[in-house]
Amino acid sequence: MVKKIIINFLLVSATVFVLDFAIGRTLRYYYFLEDSGIHYRTAFSINNTTAEFLILGSSRATHHYVPDVFEERTGMSFYNTGRQGTGIFHQLAVLTAVLKRYKPEVIILDYAGDFRLGDNTYARLSSLLPYYREHEELRWIVEQKSPWEKIKLLSEIYPFSSQVQQIILGNLKFNKIREQDDRGYVSLHSRWEADIDSVDNLPKFGLDSLKIEAFTKLIRMAKEAGAKVFIIRSPIFCKTTWNDDVEICIRQSKAQGVPFWDFSQDTLFLNHSYLFKDPGHLNHEGALIFSGIISDSIAPYLKR
Amino acid sequence: MVFTSFNFLIFFPILAVLYWITPSRFKWITLLAASYFFYINIKPVYAFLLAGVTLTTWLFTVLIAKTGNEQHKKLYLTINIILVLLPLFFFKYFGTFNNEVFTLMQAWNVRWPLPEMTLLLPIGISFYTFMAIGYTVDVYNEDIDVEKNPGILALFVSFFPLILSGPIERAGNMLPQFRKPPAFDYDLFVKGLKLALWGYFMKLVVAERLGMYVNAVYGNVEYHNGSSLLLASLIYPFQVYADLGGYSLIAIGVANVLGIKVIPNFNRPFFAGSMSEFWRRWHMSLISWLTDYVYTPLSFSFRRYKIWGIVLALMITFMISGIWHGAALTFVVWGLMQGVFLSTEALTNKRRSAFEVKYRLNRKTWYLIFTMVVTYFLFSISQIFGRAENLDDAFLVFRRIFTDPGPLFLGPPATFINGSIALSLLMFKDFTDEFYPGRFLLFENPGKVVRTISYSLVIILILLIGILDSGQFIYFQF
Repeated sequence: MVKKIIINFLLVSATVFVLDFAIGRTLRYYYFLEDSGIHYRTAFSINNTTAEFLILGSSRATHHYVPDVFEERTGMSFYNTGRQGTGIFHQLAVLTAVLKRYKPEVIILDYAGDFRLGDNTYARLSSLLPYYREHEELRWIVEQKSPWEKIKLLSEIYPFSSQVQQIILGNLKFNKIREQDDRGYVSLHSRWEADIDSVDNLPKFGLDSLKIEAFTKLIRMAKEAGAKVFIIRSPIFCKTTWNDDVEICIRQSKAQGVPFWDFSQDTLFLNHSYLFKDPGHLNHEGALIFSGIISDSIAPYLKR
Repeated sequence: MVFTSFNFLIFFPILAVLYWITPSRFKWITLLAASYFFYINIKPVYAFLLAGVTLTTWLFTVLIAKTGNEQHKKLYLTINIILVLLPLFFFKYFGTFNNEVFTLMQAWNVRWPLPEMTLLLPIGISFYTFMAIGYTVDVYNEDIDVEKNPGILALFVSFFPLILSGPIERAGNMLPQFRKPPAFDYDLFVKGLKLALWGYFMKLVVAERLGMYVNAVYGNVEYHNGSSLLLASLIYPFQVYADLGGYSLIAIGVANVLGIKVIPNFNRPFFAGSMSEFWRRWHMSLISWLTDYVYTPLSFSFRRYKIWGIVLALMITFMISGIWHGAALTFVVWGLMQGVFLSTEALTNKRRSAFEVKYRLNRKTWYLIFTMVVTYFLFSISQIFGRAENLDDAFLVFRRIFTDPGPLFLGPPATFINGSIALSLLMFKDFTDEFYPGRFLLFENPGKVVRTISYSLVIILILLIGILDSGQFIYFQF
């Protein structure tokens, strides 16, 4: 009986192993072959960019910092590594991988307020799973996801779980038009039409000390690499009250001698629906104005 | 520890080996230790509550069995039911009750600030409370013998596959299996693994994927139009089915691997042709518990009102079912709607049957499909109250569905495509099991190659399109 169970178990395991290997390796091959879309931008940020001016952040970074404006006003090459739905650990991972290759001169971290406890930041570290094998320096960050990641990554499919459609899209020509990016920047073109004057009932939440530590580490690493670092909170459509994590961000930035600029309540943008795609994201028009302000504000700090 | 955690995938094989090498008379000790370990891993302090419920139940059922005095028996039964229900009421309903009283007093200009209490519901409390009550009533009715060994009773109440979300088992089925564990049964062992594998598919691939869409829409009801709200409302019953049905299959499968047989919880509910049939196929263990311990005694005491007694018993039973699901008006309305549907069927049953016989409708495919679709729609409508955060949201959903059509929000392509594939696979399996039993066999195929490939493909599908970082099951909140 035991023998029968073991034989059947081995049979199923062997079949799963073969299928997992074949499918997983194929997905890996095509993942790194993508030439547009979210995977491509992350892979380019981690493996290829050599831009002097680097943007780190989430979707708000992706849609708010226009390369042409920065390159024209600072004379530096520019890349926007922002990726939607990611938090401070992803941004730290991108910077860690970048610093292994070269030292950017200016780094902007678009702070989206993500020190909160219990959101899905850790689950979203799955965006880094394809890099676990090749990038030893990122492993400790991926392992924040769960203590079992090393074992789960024995599966070849696991890093690409739920990514099949995106991998196919990223390899199709029409995706370049559908999800066009300009050095990591993705422009948004419609206008926000609903009215939201203010959001003042933001829920209370606990703070995650690991995220605060990652934030501090990111600033320290960037500074140690000789980069000028700026922490920026980009515009939001509606009035909001500050949460505890913004206070912490300000305190940490001050402690490390890094400028923190808060544009979230700037009246130039506040409640101006024609500058927004949705309450959290500027459209291209808004992004151009915002990028102009930021690049002009940063220029005096640069010795070029 | 939850079934979908990696910890469980390590915990369970170790336990299974330990269990099967443990001598028969000590097996219950292994299972009891494992069950408490499992529960403590979620929130240690609530294990005291579980132990407390077990202890009072053991004490009072022993007293019930010992006394020959009917009045004393009834008194012990009442005391135990009250004691067992107290934690449930306190943790599940006190907060809501507190807030309602405060609001009411404010309305009368009485200001007596009550302490605000936000209590975390001890996970599984609704399930083990019902199991403990069921056992007490069974002993009282002399349907089963009292369990003198408090350890075995503790195992019944805390049995880890069932404690978090059921199936709500009966002492009459479980206690004999714990007292004299059955010998190793290879077929049951393999059946358990197959059930668990399909349960994981239902949860990780179907429920989680559908949940992404439903949560995106229901999480922002005010920003979605009627079309998206309608689609989310029609998908939600499938999500719950895949979630609780998946959990139940894993639970039953895990128990089977340990040689323990557990009652089923779902039986392809979306092929039911009436609401009464639906409720014989949906969350069967809860409904059978409510039938035995609430509906039957109630309809017996209301028997003088004839059909209206049945209607009254149905309404009360499903009100209780609604309140059991949650301390919110939405669940009361949900329960009332089920009561209304079933009462209407009970009241029109004779006429409907005569009509169906007269026109031979039961043999007509279009009629069967029609009744299934109507049943599904009725249940989906009621589930709007089951899913909405509050009554205002529920009414907003209804208003939008009827007055605000618009372009459909489909979410990211992966959600839509994978969700459609997953749901189609689940429904195809249910369809073939329902209408073509014995055909299109995969897990049960006589050919070993087909079976092996089927298991492997399901595992690969879970890896490929499952949501592997999923957390809670929907019914953990109840």
